[in-house]
Amino acid sequence: MNKILFFAHLRDVVGEESLSFDAAGKTVAQLKGLLTKKYDSMNLDHVMTAINEEFASDEDVVQEGDLIAFIPPVSGG
Amino acid sequence: MDDRYSRQALFPPIGKEGLEKIRAKHVLMIGAGALGSGNAEILTRAGIGRLTIVDRDYVEASNLQRQQLYSEKDVEEKLPKAAAAAKRLRMINSQVEIQPVITDATPERLEELIAGVDLIIDATDNFETRMAINDISQKHQIPWIYGACVGSFGMSLTIIPGKTPCLNCLLKKIPIQGMTCDTGGIIAPAVQMAVSHQSAEALKILVEDWEAIRTTLVSFDLWRNQYTSMKITKAKDEGCLSCGNERTYPYLDSENMVKSTVLCGRDTVQIRPPKQGEIQLSELAAQLKTLGYKVSGNPYLISVEIEEQRLVIFSDGRALIHGTKDVTQAKTIYQRLLG
Repeated sequence: MNKILFFAHLRDVVGEESLSFDAAGKTVAQLKGLLTKKYDSMNLDHVMTAINEEFASDEDVVQEGDLIAFIPPVSGG
Repeated sequence: MDDRYSRQALFPPIGKEGLEKIRAKHVLMIGAGALGSGNAEILTRAGIGRLTIVDRDYVEASNLQRQQLYSEKDVEEKLPKAAAAAKRLRMINSQVEIQPVITDATPERLEELIAGVDLIIDATDNFETRMAINDISQKHQIPWIYGACVGSFGMSLTIIPGKTPCLNCLLKKIPIQGMTCDTGGIIAPAVQMAVSHQSAEALKILVEDWEAIRTTLVSFDLWRNQYTSMKITKAKDEGCLSCGNERTYPYLDSENMVKSTVLCGRDTVQIRPPKQGEIQLSELAAQLKTLGYKVSGNPYLISVEIEEQRLVIFSDGRALIHGTKDVTQAKTIYQRLLG
């Protein structure tokens, strides 16, 4: 199992701060695809991904127990 | 006689030596909105040598809730933010040389303003300008500090050329649907938290305490009580066009800037984003509706009413801004809604 954390407006889309999801063996891109299907109004195209608090690229593979966070870059200032 | 910096000098990582370094430094602040106000006030009080503050907008009533340098009088006088900021900052510390620049921070202007600058602080509200700052920073080997906030959420990242990955390594391309203050609302504490992260990093850079620099992208949500630091070393991309081996500084090329065209005889400006990409119109429409905008549309476009203007957004990111012939105003409205 993996814990997935959502930041900023993504949390409103999911309706909770975190999600338990079995993502082991999947790439970040695949996981983004699955979540986008699960939540109609979720767009993860430009969202940064952290695995265990470290920057992850779309090709990185999630391991069992990894903590995943989706952090949208924001532009307001 | 100068007591004013005594508490800063008593802080061991700064000390008297640090004070002298701070007094000798020139900071370029891009933006004089919420983040710009906060950062500029802290650095002016800290006694930096010179502050150049760049902004293209003027003060409006809706700024006063969080843009700490401005007053009701500035709103009445519709003062440009850079000018109003300079006026207030000079009252706070007459020892600092304040240079207001009322302009759009285009790559051309950034090239002119960069000479002699020790640090750039990002206080903009859009990724187009940030990516230009990122390229200028790499080209001239000058550090910059990214900061942004929306709602109760914010983030910051310190970018040191040659040492850290750059913003282009992290984002690869400009998010066309980034949230901005205007679409998402904002509370002042989120501004102050982002400002605190940026200005603390600024002081470290100004006193040249490189060891102390934060090497993570920090993000926080003050309402939802979240705080996270993401290590970014792995994001460094040798193929990055901004900081890699064969760099071209793509965002200094005006080809990559937002294109705007005044449509003849229609009182309309067309804005085209730098990179084409699909926008989820239904998601954007829903988001704007919850924020109180009057939104209508069809599968091909959405129409949004904003005061006297009407914005029509197409799924390729293109927009028509009706009710204006002013390209700068049209660009401002576009970036408020589409980041």
